[in-house]
Amino acid sequence: MADRIIFTGILILAAVYFYATAQIPSIEIGDPLGPKAFPRLLGIGLLVTGGILLLEMLRAGKTEVRDEGAKAPVEWRHYLVVGAAAIWTGVYFAVFEWLGYAIATTFYLLGLTSYFHKGRLKTNVLTSVLFSFISYFMFTKLLGVTLARGILPF
Amino acid sequence: METLTHILNGFSVCLQPINLWYTFVGVFLGTIIGILPGIGPSAGIALLIPVTFGMDPTSALIMMAGIYYGTKYGGSTTAILIRTPGEAASVMTSIDGYEMAKKGRAGAALAVSAIGSFIAGTIGVVALTLFAIPLASMALKFGPAEYFTLMLFAMTAVASLSGKSAAKGMLSTILGLMIATIGIDLQSGQSRYTAGVPEFQDGVGFIVVVVGLFAVAEVFRGMEEIYKGTAAKVIRISGKLWLTRDEWKRSIGPIWRGGIIGFVIGVLPGAGGTIASILSYTTEKRLSKHPETFGKGAIEGVAGPEAANNSDTAGALVPLLTLGVPGGGATAVMLGAFIMYGIQPGPLLFQNRPDVVWGLVDSMYIGNIMLLILNLPLVGLFVRLLYIPSGILYPLIVAISVIGTYAINGSMLDLYLILFFGVVGYIFDKIDIPVAPLVLSLVLGGIMEQSFRQAMTISGGDPVVFVSSGITVTLVALSVISISMPFILPRLKALKRASDDAD
Repeated sequence: MADRIIFTGILILAAVYFYATAQIPSIEIGDPLGPKAFPRLLGIGLLVTGGILLLEMLRAGKTEVRDEGAKAPVEWRHYLVVGAAAIWTGVYFAVFEWLGYAIATTFYLLGLTSYFHKGRLKTNVLTSVLFSFISYFMFTKLLGVTLARGILPF
Repeated sequence: METLTHILNGFSVCLQPINLWYTFVGVFLGTIIGILPGIGPSAGIALLIPVTFGMDPTSALIMMAGIYYGTKYGGSTTAILIRTPGEAASVMTSIDGYEMAKKGRAGAALAVSAIGSFIAGTIGVVALTLFAIPLASMALKFGPAEYFTLMLFAMTAVASLSGKSAAKGMLSTILGLMIATIGIDLQSGQSRYTAGVPEFQDGVGFIVVVVGLFAVAEVFRGMEEIYKGTAAKVIRISGKLWLTRDEWKRSIGPIWRGGIIGFVIGVLPGAGGTIASILSYTTEKRLSKHPETFGKGAIEGVAGPEAANNSDTAGALVPLLTLGVPGGGATAVMLGAFIMYGIQPGPLLFQNRPDVVWGLVDSMYIGNIMLLILNLPLVGLFVRLLYIPSGILYPLIVAISVIGTYAINGSMLDLYLILFFGVVGYIFDKIDIPVAPLVLSLVLGGIMEQSFRQAMTISGGDPVVFVSSGITVTLVALSVISISMPFILPRLKALKRASDDAD
């Protein structure tokens, strides 16, 4: 199933890439190939890859032993957890410059540790606050690395 | 004679107090990165690049190389104590190393992996010192067509060896090359695939891709394991951190053989430390008088693979330094770092900047000694890192990734990109698409296109230029062989099985 989706994805990506390549304006002075030649080659390479994947799928189809027994229930809840962690990371980035690195990171870490390190509120709060503020001061004041200041006055 | 002078001068560079310090910082961080699951050498090096801006390039590169080979030492500790390789190449160590730990011989397993790593790491650096000059001299004859076909070979080898499917490896390679075409085309000045986003004019930075694919994606995988409750438990170190006379006798052969196997495999593009350690493991099992003990705590199964995955790092630096073409993910990130410091690895580097090349290579002799000290008497300290709860460790890795990424340009787009590539890396892992080929081709993409266009311009647009010399023909043939190998090998095996059955 996954391979079929990848195969379809390859075809769509190749079509989009060829279209986008055709849109590149071409001035071929001193460079006979221009900016489109290499991308076109990549588009062809992508289609060849799709062909090889199809061959692999056919070969796997021939050797596959069909399981007639009851299928195990598909476990999907962990995808929700990973999806939620990804969204939480997106929220963190959305408020990153507004709140600043130190405050946004504190909340971000607190959110994740509260779920993935349950029942240890004190440790989680301490880790989140200390890591965020110590790393902020270490990188901005000692190493001269720029991090978003946000609403903090320092 | 001149080479010998350069090699000795390299020692005067790497023995400067500041460079000794950075060697130490590199191997120290490398050990930590190797021990911690969730962050490997590629992401570790990429995250440190912004912090090293403004540093002397030689010192910065010495530190990054230290991280690279230091991770191999650290990775084995995790493999032995929690049966999870802290670094992919330690996968074979986790089999017999963990079994030894379960039997109360964790100390011996850690000792043999540290000593094996030291001996083999040093074998690797000696071989790197010996082979670098002849290869660099040969590479001076390379023109754009030779470089293009060399990169083609590196990519096809990585694509076909990285995962379970050649097609998926190729897909990953082409995606990396496609990402590399985003931005202003340097030859024509045309902007390509930027979708009107001004930040994309400079292209997609390899650091954000590496951090996303190797660090953030690994965090998502780790969080999944925490949720499923499959996170590994740590075995406490037991037994003396040394070997018995019998264990020494059984280990020394595998260490030497592993050191040689690792170096040879490291030089070849694509194969890398994981394949080197698998090859060493199977060699030792075949040579052993008691193959049945493998998988049940055989010390040879730790000594050989650990030696192999360490000398592999020195081998992998051969094509990077002499040809400017890396053969895997971590060396690709190092190439990116070299370029960011305005240094182009390759044969000319040996002539123009021998201080950088030999300072870096010679620092590896020193670094290996430091690693032996860090990973034997001090291993108990590093092991404490394994007791950091994963539920705290993984969120912290994201925060560290944010610092490393935001520090480059202060760009919010870069942060969203690490999240995007993190999700992509997680999905790719689920559908068996390897990510190392993508990083390699992303870093090499620009140079590859340039070589392609230069070669075509020189030949007046005739593609025959790519099969016009002995070197290009050989490299094209090797590329075709490496891509067809996954198809040919099963057929050959089936034929052999059929003929065996007939007999």
